[in-house]
Parts: sequence; structure tokens; C-alpha cells
Amino acid sequence: MNALEAKNITKKYAEHVALDDVSIQVPEGAVFGLLGPNGAGKTSLIRIINQITGPDEGEIVLFGESLQAKHVSNIGYLPEERGLYKKMKVGEQAMYLAQLKGMRKQEAKQKLEAWFERFEIMAWWNKKVEELSKGMAQKIQFVTTVLHEPKLLILDEPFSGFDPINVELIRNELMRLKDEGASIILSTHNMGSVEEICDNIALINKSKKVLEGRVDDIREAHAHQEYELRFKGTSIAFANALWTNFELLSQEGDKDLQRARVRLGEGMKLNDLLRAVVDHVELIDVNRNLPSMNDIFIQTVTQNAEDHE
Amino acid sequence: MSKIGLVIGREYSSRVRKKSFILMTILGPLLFAGIIAAAIWVSVADNTEHEVLVVDYAGMLSYVNPDNGRMEASYPEIFKGDEKLQFHFTDQLPSDSSFINSPYTLMLEFDDSILAAKKAHLYYKDLPSTQVSMRVTGALENGIERVKVRENDQIDYRTYKRLKTSISLAKFDINHKEDASMDQEKGIVGMMLAIIIFFFIFLYGSQVMRGVIEEKSNRIVEVIVSSIKPFQLMMGKIIGIGLVGLTQFLIWIVLSIVIFSVAGMIFESGGFDSVAAVNGLRSGGQTPIDFETFLQQQDGFSLLVSINWPLILFMFFIYFIGGYLLYGSLFASVGAAVDSETDTQQFLMPVMLPLFFSYFVAIMSVNNPEGFAAKVFSFIPLSSPIIMMIRTPMNSTTIWELMLSVALLFVTAVFFVWLAGRIYRTGILMYGKKPSYREIWKWIKFNS
Repeated sequence: MNALEAKNITKKYAEHVALDDVSIQVPEGAVFGLLGPNGAGKTSLIRIINQITGPDEGEIVLFGESLQAKHVSNIGYLPEERGLYKKMKVGEQAMYLAQLKGMRKQEAKQKLEAWFERFEIMAWWNKKVEELSKGMAQKIQFVTTVLHEPKLLILDEPFSGFDPINVELIRNELMRLKDEGASIILSTHNMGSVEEICDNIALINKSKKVLEGRVDDIREAHAHQEYELRFKGTSIAFANALWTNFELLSQEGDKDLQRARVRLGEGMKLNDLLRAVVDHVELIDVNRNLPSMNDIFIQTVTQNAEDHE
Repeated sequence: MSKIGLVIGREYSSRVRKKSFILMTILGPLLFAGIIAAAIWVSVADNTEHEVLVVDYAGMLSYVNPDNGRMEASYPEIFKGDEKLQFHFTDQLPSDSSFINSPYTLMLEFDDSILAAKKAHLYYKDLPSTQVSMRVTGALENGIERVKVRENDQIDYRTYKRLKTSISLAKFDINHKEDASMDQEKGIVGMMLAIIIFFFIFLYGSQVMRGVIEEKSNRIVEVIVSSIKPFQLMMGKIIGIGLVGLTQFLIWIVLSIVIFSVAGMIFESGGFDSVAAVNGLRSGGQTPIDFETFLQQQDGFSLLVSINWPLILFMFFIYFIGGYLLYGSLFASVGAAVDSETDTQQFLMPVMLPLFFSYFVAIMSVNNPEGFAAKVFSFIPLSSPIIMMIRTPMNSTTIWELMLSVALLFVTAVFFVWLAGRIYRTGILMYGKKPSYREIWKWIKFNS
């Protein structure tokens, strides 16, 4: 079952169309990357899922049910624009946010204390938020987002503004929550983290979905026939061994260890490449060179822009 | 607890725990009491010398001295007089002009109807101080008591108590005989209430605005509205802050009553000896009066006692709630439209304008509560909470007028709340450039 399905969502504002017939499917238990340039419509979609605004057309289905008010307690949302009441005490504030999500006072207190123990921030309970550093406040925000154990977590740019230690901490917590069965939607520009932790992605550009699928599949589909070879031998020997059917993209190193990137020509296979070089250098290893999500992102978005011109 | 209740609870408890709130709530009535005490003191401390002409038609308190043919007091020990106050008797009422040209500063007039009506007239050139009018009243009361006692040989204490007479003076400015001055004094009470309601609406309304801006600028609002509807958040805030205002006002009332009673107890136990002595309250074997009577006899304070407080306070609460809902939702919209308090000016203008306008109409209405402007603006919801506060204590309204005005106020307030809700739900998620009025109009129109 899918944790979430957005079906043909269209959202128009007074001046522009924020989402144009966008459909996505977030598999249960997966980390789903919602990608796209600024202003593409990601936040609009996230706000619709959170019932902050409603779609003009289309439907959101959450765990098989049409989205409704009661689902608020099934979703944990960390917006990109996030903050806390500065004058309020940390514990009191976390309790308030938990109760707004529908938790009972006693339950909220218990779970909060467990989280605070784990993050070793129990001492902050009676501090005002304005006394905390930014990184400390971020931890509180994260805790309040996941405290009510939502089945669906939506994190908008969760790593922006976090220091590296917190990024690592949050990443580990996310993976743990995923293992416990939570489904996670991650809206981000950070392509490194997409490759690392996302199972699926959807790319939204100019209010339309332009790409969706499993990260591995997408990278595979966008892969050119590129390989990275490491070998011992001279670079001249290696270059000479390549026919015109192969393109040498780059080469570096010394005679003890050379590294070269090669793109196969039309109709060529890896075997052809190996056959061509195997007698001239001593091969150490060969790797398929998959495009990074960053490359795919940029390529898709710019191509999209060209298509429109 | 329902979610809107949670919001109300947070808004309320975070505010009533603030030091500034506690300070204002306690200091408010003390300040008020201090002002009243100072006013009493000033009215009591007076050094003008007075020559009182007592016009005693019936010769109840005076007789013609056969030695010099002049009228003198029957009870000289009561009308003894001193360097500050001298009594002179006559049985002829002088013409106004001859009184004005005479050396007399006051003219006390009564006939034998005083026994039943317990009323006498005091004409003045300059309004006498409380101290002086109390001495005059005290002497007159004492004299009349003597008359009654004289006609009754079997006097015991209970009889005396029954005979004890309290006289109220209807005062007239000799130059403006027609003015009955009490209404104007009530107008001052109305003015004070209007000022209080103005400040309450203004202070608590702008707290709503600041609260909205705070949530917007510290970026928590999106987290909150993912849990509850923006309208619930807005209403929770408006209601929570409104309750803070009502709490403050209730505490003020309770504290005022406490201060009033304590002051009364101190007064009656003689703690105000200095005041009492200056007033000659205890001279002539007079029984001490209670605090309420004392206040009643103070010019300008008599109405504090005589006014219909329960009705006034009830109307105050009604108009505060209505006016606050109306203006509070306008303030909430302003808060939602901007990113920071420095940006509010442009939008505050149309909110503040009617509020200040009402205030000025209120000042004008004190002199003319039945006037056209006062009447019209006491029905227009943007100004009715303030104007009606002036008209109600002056008894210049009918129950139907009050009901119509309140109904109009609440219908409009609900409409404004609805309007604000539409501006709010879009505005709170908009950052960056300040919207134009046209954009805000679009927010109202489009469906979320």
C-alpha cells in the first residue's frame, strides 16, 4: 500500500498556477524525496498534504483513506520556515505542540521525557527558547515533529541550517524511524542526501511533475555508458589502446595507479572496452559511472526550460 | 481539551504570568484610588473666607434681636462662625443682583418645608469647597435637629436617631441658575469609562496584532496551522487575549471595592482625623458619618455613589467584548498582512482612524449626549462601544437604543471576524513583500 497518493492535484493562486495536475505516490516505509527548484510548487503540495490549504482539483489519499481533518495526528511536519515561541519554556512549548497534535497530556509528557533523555537535553526543559542556540532549537523542533509517532513524516529542507553534527543526528533518527515503519517525505535541494537516504523521488518543475521513480532506476535510466577504470601502466599506452569507438573523458595518476573515465561509443559494450585495453595495461578495477542525482536534477530542469522555449 | 481551548489557554496563561500584567493590574486601582484621594484632599484643603447669608423665611433658626433690631441666630453655638466662615441672617430673599453685589459669598435659602423635604438651596458666586459646603450643611442639619428636639420634650437616643436629619443642598450658580450640574458630572464618569474602553480595545487589540506578528516572524505559525485550522488559531488568540483584558478589569473592580471598603473603615474609625477635623465633621457633637455619606457629600464624588454601577458595568462588558472582537479581528488582519511591526503603519491607519475618531466624538458628546452626532455614532459599530459608554451613565439612552446598538455591534463584529479569518489564513503564510490592498482583497475573495 502507498502511504500517500496525490492524484491530479491542481492548485491555482490569484496570480499563478502553483501545481498543475501533479500526481505522486509515496510507498509505505520509504523515504521519498520531493525535489525541485525554488518556486516549483513543492511547498504548495506539502501544505495541501498538511491541510493548511486545499487543492482546487484532485485528491490526496493517505493510507487508503481520503485526506480528512483527523489525519492531522498521523502526520508530522517540519516546515522549511520553522521556529518556536521565543519567550516560552522548552518543555511547556513541546507539551503545547504535542497536545495540538492530539496527544494526551500524560502521554506527551512521558514521550517527551524519553526523547529529551535520548538527546541528552533534559536540562533544557525549563529554559526559555531564546536562551538556546540555533542548533539546540533545531533539536527541539525535530523532537516535536516526531513525538506523536506519525506514520507519515514530512520534512521540508530538514538539513538546511542544521550544523553537521545535528545533520548526522537527524539522519540517523530518520533512518531509525524508517526502520520502525514510518514513511518519510523529504523536500530538499541537498542532492547528496537524496542519493544517500531516498528510496524514491519525484521532481517537480514549474508546477508540473517531470520525473518520478526509484532513485536507482532513475540513475540507471539517465546513465550514459560511462566507466571508471583503475589500472597500472602508462597513460599513453592506455590512450593508444582505445579506438575511436571509445571516448576518454579524463585521465589522471602516475604509472603505479592510473584512473580514467571512458564513455562507450554507439553499440559498444563493456566487454569491448575491456578487450581493447586488457593487453596494454594491468587493470585493477572497473566501475560503472552512474550520474549523480545532482546531474540528473540540473539536466532535467534545464532541458525542461529549453523545451518550453 | 479541544484544540482551540489549548490555544486560548496558552495565550491566556503566557500573558497573565507576565510581570507587566501583574504590575498594571495591581497598580491600576491603587493609582485610581490615589487620584481620588488626592482630589478629595484638594477639595477639602481650602482657605477662602466665606460670608453666608442665611435666608430664614420662617424664622426657624433666627430671631430679631430687640437690642439692635438685627436678625441673629437662635442657636449661636451652632452658627458661631470663625475667621473662615461667618453666618448672617435675614428673612428677606435679596434680588439676584443685590446678592451678586453684596459682600456675601454664599446664600442659604430655606423655609419651613425643610422639615419635611429636607432640602435647602445654596446659591454661590464661586463654587464653595466641599469643606465649606459640609460645614454649612452640618450647621443647618444641627439647627434643624434642635428645632425638632425643641418641639419634643421626651427625647431619648432612639428618638434622636429618628429625628436626625440629613439635608442635601441643591446648588445653583447665581449667574447660571438654569444649569443642573449633575448631568455634566455624570458625563465625566462616562468620559472615564469611554477612555478606559478605548484604551482596553486599543491595548488588547494591538496585543492581538503583536501576537500574530510574533508567530509569523518566529516562523512557528506553519507548524501550528499543520495541527489546527488558521481560523481556530486566530480565534484562540483573540479570545485568549480578550480574557486577559476581562481578567484585568475584573481584578480592578474587586480591588476597587476592597480599597473602597478599607478606606471606608479607616475613615469611620477616625483614621481620617485630619480630614474630618478640617471639615469640622466632629464639631457640635455631631455623630460621625459613614464613608459613603461622606463621599456623597463631596462634590463630584457624590455621583460615584449615586450612579447605577451594575448597569454601567454590564454595558461596559458587553461593549468591550463587541468592540474588542471587532477591532481585535482588524488588528489580527493587520498582523497577518505584515512581516514585522515596523511594516504595520500603512495598515494600522484605517484601523486607528475610526477608533480615534470615536474618541473625539466622545469628548464632544459629553456636553451634548442627546446631540445628533452622539446619537448617530452610538449606533455605528466602529464607534458605538465608546460613545455609548458616555451616553449610558447620563441616562440619555433607552433600552431599545441600547439593544439596537449592541445588536448592530455584534453582527458587524462577527462579519469582521469572518473577514479577518480569510485575510489571516493567507497572510500568515506570506513572507517577503508587503501586500497591497488589492492583494488583500484577493485573499478575501479566493477560496483556500
